[in-house]
Amino acid sequence: MAKSYQEINEKIARGEAVVVTAEEVIGIVKERGVKEAAEYVDVVTTATFGPMCSSGAFLNFGHSDPPIRMGEITINGVEAYGGLAAVDTYLGATQPSVDQGIEYGGAHVIHDLIAGKEVHLVAKSQGTDCYPRTELDTWVKLEDLNEAYLFNPRNVYQNYNAAINGSSQRLYTYMGILQPNMGNITYSTAGELSPLLNDPLLKTIGMGTRIFFGGAQGHVSWMGTQFNTACPRDDKGYPQTPGATLALIGNMKEMDPKYIRGAVYEGYGTSMFVGVGIPIPILNEEMMSFVAVENKDLYTNVIDYSVPKKTKPNLKKVSYAELRSGSVDINGKSIKTSPLSSLKMAREIAAELSNWIKKGEFFLQEPIQSFPMGNAIKGLEIKEGESR
Amino acid sequence: MITKKILLSFPQKSAGQPMAMELIKNYHLDFNILKAFIDDNIKGTLLLEIKGEEADIEAGIVFLRQNQIGVKDIQSVVEVDENKCVSCGACTAVCAVGALEMTADWSLVHHDDKCLECMLCVKACPMRAIHAVI
Repeated sequence: MAKSYQEINEKIARGEAVVVTAEEVIGIVKERGVKEAAEYVDVVTTATFGPMCSSGAFLNFGHSDPPIRMGEITINGVEAYGGLAAVDTYLGATQPSVDQGIEYGGAHVIHDLIAGKEVHLVAKSQGTDCYPRTELDTWVKLEDLNEAYLFNPRNVYQNYNAAINGSSQRLYTYMGILQPNMGNITYSTAGELSPLLNDPLLKTIGMGTRIFFGGAQGHVSWMGTQFNTACPRDDKGYPQTPGATLALIGNMKEMDPKYIRGAVYEGYGTSMFVGVGIPIPILNEEMMSFVAVENKDLYTNVIDYSVPKKTKPNLKKVSYAELRSGSVDINGKSIKTSPLSSLKMAREIAAELSNWIKKGEFFLQEPIQSFPMGNAIKGLEIKEGESR
Repeated sequence: MITKKILLSFPQKSAGQPMAMELIKNYHLDFNILKAFIDDNIKGTLLLEIKGEEADIEAGIVFLRQNQIGVKDIQSVVEVDENKCVSCGACTAVCAVGALEMTADWSLVHHDDKCLECMLCVKACPMRAIHAVI
């Protein structure tokens, strides 16, 4: 028995929708079978809370008197882009500050703004006939801005590599600190709770999908950068390597600083922990069988990050159940595994999103456009000399 | 017999006095020097693990304080700020002794008695929630 988005939304409005998390649904399917579970459950909530570097905020400060066309802009010492209109800017999450470097970067400014803190805005300009001011130095809060929204070009990776270090030197990477001589393995996923692993073929997640985004109701705005739906898959369609990604948009003024946090990866840079929850409508039995996936059936590869090449050696295919067990055996040696994304916070987000839907505060939005399947990613060729 | 960790801070004028000797001789204390350094102002810091009868340890600490030496009880040289920690697990990747580990529900737990003071977790924490207390 198929259900439509409208039918599910009507149940949400009546307070009758059955909403469970992607972890809870596993037991329901085991107990009742896919067919009965698909009739019983209306929405399955998924979530993740981890480092997502490709993130940032569009801000509009409003005009001063006399007005300025902001050219060079810093916010709490972090450079923001001055190539938009007079008082618009984009602040990238990974931009380090002039004085504190990666210890305080764009992501920290974004967190501080969401937390309601006053930030130091400094801007310079050549001065024009219509924008005569050449310098500006002031303090602003999020509530003082006209618009402030996160627009993250690449979030919620559908699957990602696990990392290991085959060299004799310690490595400082975006996958955390990797000890020499294959001393440890790190991985970053919410696994069976992860949004895009519960809808592997993007049947319900597309442009316009309403989501939990940093504590606010946001939307999927586009396919994410490096969107790879041509990745290798198992026979059910689950990606075996990094796959799809999403571009997300949401109002910072409605966000909670708990779910958007600045992060520092030693020797690498600033990043941002982003909390995202995506509801999956159980439209039919096929969707129910997708969301019933377990960590033991989701796979990734252990990649040697000590090889400074684009394509790095793949040492072993492992399931997320093996990674979650605390150790993985490689060449007869038991190697400790550690997570980098917070499953504890992801569970909190999935539960929070479930509550919103149960209380009738959050409705499903059917995608206004699906994303392409079979989309491969390109590399960058280095060409010598003049343009040809 | 009990064992505890104490952090001693020596003002410049106390440098050079044989305090350790006194602790062994007069208070029958056994100890392990875990860390020792002197800063640019000739202020000394000594992290000791001391073992002895509780009363002797108390008396030894009184003796040290009478000699203008700062004494602080510590469990571990690192502290985890629970307001900043998000239980991501990045610190557990570098903690070889399991002083920092994930519980069954994927919260971070800090077993401070296991810490060997390598301090790598301070660098590994993306939230900068782990601080060295010395």
